[in-house]
Amino acid sequence: MEAGGTTPLEDLAEAAGHTFPHLFAARARTAEGLEKRRAGLADLPHGSEASIVLMGSWGRTEVTNGSDDDFMVLVHGPEGSPVKPEVEEVSEVLDHQPGKEGPFAEAVFSEKLVQHIGLDPDNNRNLTRRMLFLLESVSLTGAEVYREVRDELLARYFDESIKPYQPPRFLLNEVVRYWRTIGVDFAGKEWEGPEKWGLRNAKLRTSRKILFAGGLLPALECFRFDSAPMRSYLEGQLAMPPTDRIAQAFMKNRAIDEGVRTLSAYDQFVGRMNDPDFRQALQQVNRDNAADSEAFDEACAIGKELQAGLLALLYEAPTELPRVAREYAIF
Amino acid sequence: MEQLRGDWDAQVKAAWEVSSFAIELSALSERELPSLAAYLSRTPNLPFRYISIHGPSKGREMDEEQLIFELSRLAPRADAFVMHPDTIEDFEPYRRLGHKLLLENMDARKVGGRTRGELEAAFAELPDAGFCFDVAHAWSIDPEMLVAHDLLDAFRGRLRHVHLSSLSEDLRHMPLSEEDEELFGPTLSRCLDVPWIFEAPSASE
Repeated sequence: MEAGGTTPLEDLAEAAGHTFPHLFAARARTAEGLEKRRAGLADLPHGSEASIVLMGSWGRTEVTNGSDDDFMVLVHGPEGSPVKPEVEEVSEVLDHQPGKEGPFAEAVFSEKLVQHIGLDPDNNRNLTRRMLFLLESVSLTGAEVYREVRDELLARYFDESIKPYQPPRFLLNEVVRYWRTIGVDFAGKEWEGPEKWGLRNAKLRTSRKILFAGGLLPALECFRFDSAPMRSYLEGQLAMPPTDRIAQAFMKNRAIDEGVRTLSAYDQFVGRMNDPDFRQALQQVNRDNAADSEAFDEACAIGKELQAGLLALLYEAPTELPRVAREYAIF
Repeated sequence: MEQLRGDWDAQVKAAWEVSSFAIELSALSERELPSLAAYLSRTPNLPFRYISIHGPSKGREMDEEQLIFELSRLAPRADAFVMHPDTIEDFEPYRRLGHKLLLENMDARKVGGRTRGELEAAFAELPDAGFCFDVAHAWSIDPEMLVAHDLLDAFRGRLRHVHLSSLSEDLRHMPLSEEDEELFGPTLSRCLDVPWIFEAPSASE
């Protein structure tokens, strides 16, 4: 939240005389859901080095009635450290269980998350957890542990490779690497079977793109800072949900109209995803029947508008950002 | 572009020579719709990221239910259908086009659909519809371009694409002049993320 007490998304709405009703409603839903879950977890025995962390739509503050409780029990320490509360105990409290095959509902040790970046030990699961933790997460318990591990992770990216007035390449490469990994994994999952193809595809065009842009834009915007303030700028950015980072980037780069359209498209998607019939329709879409699905057609149109707005910001805004994007975003 | 009407291959070729990004296929009269449907059926993969169809606006005779039925059949092949709001009599059938329906602001000759107030009434009936911003039409109402900015202020969240040209004295679309390019610049700078459709060949052609 800004010093004036409003968020960048609210500031964009105010500046344009516009509103994002579904995003604002989702933020209220998220706050209410977090409060309820924190109260439910309060009685669990809790170690001093643990934090229960929610990711995905909770971290984006975009919870819908179909959102899962994608959680991990983050433990500040090496593998084998005591885990309290245990994952099963947390699972009994959080009632929207995540899918069993994903990277959620497990204990995650900070040493692996922070120290194993790149090379063989940094498998798909570790990369996914690290990026979700950094870009779209919120702590339910153990806020101090959550903060300490994020500090350690940012310190890892702010190593000797940092140069003043240039985007942090290590972090930028991680964000781009993760986005491309999601794209490749989408194809890998389709190879394994057609289940949920439509829902995954729609998310890739929308919420995954918001996740990516929410990391890419702050990383590129670092070109405005000397080395020392660069880190505090990023800490401030990553403390906000991705839609706030994106709204702020549109305003800072004098692209308010494009920002309104981009976030209006996403607002529409979040609203539609809160409709069980729309979500169900997407779940039934596969590559063979996609052309006949109105829901999928609508998700594709929203995805196109969202991407067009982000591309205009990155490559056509009347500021230095397009020069920076051209120089750093591809190579 | 008048000479290309009904010649879909020629429209595609002309658009491709400008950009592979977007095309607007113009079926300005109802009798052009069957041949457009046939063309899109035998040419399912056009080389553009964004395909718009300008629906009939002149000499309309077809029942609106039938017109929307014909357009709906083309929906899987198009990202947008541009319609003139002043030609709409019954909004109900148009709702079936959902978010693919775009309402274009009209020029000074028309009796409706020209300004914020007139378009607001149409969008109230068609809440899912988008906005096609014709810069020259807005200029024809207000050469100071205040109406153009007012339209963008009012419908910025709905904007899906831009029609770009200059206008002759009798308000026909003409190649964009250098003078208008400069005059329209500030409004166009608010439309960086949407396709710009040239409604006349470039002045150099």
